[in-house]
Amino acid sequence: MPKHRCGAALVIAPRAMTVAAPSARGWCLGAGIGVLLAIASNPAAAGDPAAGKQVFEQQCSICHSAQAGRNAIGPALFGVVGRPSASIANYNYSPPFKALGVTWDEATLDKYLTGPRAMVPGTKMTYAGLKDDKKRADVIAFLATLK
Amino acid sequence: MHSRPAITGSLVALAVGAWLGAQGLGPLGSAVAQQPAPPHLIPQSLQIEHEDTLERLTILTHRPGAVGAEARKALVLFKAHIARESEFILPPLTLLPELADGKVTPDMKWALAMSDRVKTEREQIFQQHTQITDAMNALAVAARAAHDKVAQEFAEAAVGDSLNDAELLEPMVLLIGDYLRAKLPPGQ
Repeated sequence: MPKHRCGAALVIAPRAMTVAAPSARGWCLGAGIGVLLAIASNPAAAGDPAAGKQVFEQQCSICHSAQAGRNAIGPALFGVVGRPSASIANYNYSPPFKALGVTWDEATLDKYLTGPRAMVPGTKMTYAGLKDDKKRADVIAFLATLK
Repeated sequence: MHSRPAITGSLVALAVGAWLGAQGLGPLGSAVAQQPAPPHLIPQSLQIEHEDTLERLTILTHRPGAVGAEARKALVLFKAHIARESEFILPPLTLLPELADGKVTPDMKWALAMSDRVKTEREQIFQQHTQITDAMNALAVAARAAHDKVAQEFAEAAVGDSLNDAELLEPMVLLIGDYLRAKLPPGQ
């Protein structure tokens, strides 16, 4: 067992590295890089759900409900993270969406929210996209809480 | 309020103006000539809907604070979009009752150019819808903060109308173009 445990959170990793023995330092460096990679591939991990709720209310709620089973102009987003695309039975998705075939996770949501028409040409969602990386991460973090 | 003689006088003036306009005479004639009737009207139901939308949004522009400010921004977008719709997106829809009765006549050919234009500009039209959605999001946020239920309901309904345009009306215009092309005699 190493003398100095390296924290999983990126914020702890640099401090742990300064006091760790060489072998432990390498382990921590690896873990730190791992966390960085995890954040890069998992935008919601860096997001703030509370801030994301506000973004959702300002940018999404006019068309989407956060409640289970309440489709509006767009499909209900309750449980969207982890759900296959176009999988709500009583929502009429556009043909490009029906053919999309992805599972909504942090990475696919990040790509879609950056530019909906770029990822799904022909989507009927009349939304230009959320270009702010932080706001996007926040809203994805909020969506991840809807379960 | 106008009195009856004043209304009668106005009507006479309008009639004279229209006649002068038709003759290409005088300053009144010039003013009338600058505003010709559109060559093709849009379905009356949509005309009423447009007028209602502009009227309700115009009322919201007079609200104090953020609601009024967002409504004023939105009004500019709506006017531009409605002008575009009236110019070439919606007129082909006036043919639908006849087409549904199986009637296709060469004088319907005018709709082909409009349908082609919708096809060409479909992405731009969609972008205009996204701008309207952004504006309605902003209006809804302002309305919620001001507890303005009327403004909020307007914003929500307007986004629904945008979806109706993208999901139904614009594809229908493309379909009318394809149908006419298939049914009109060759060379028409």
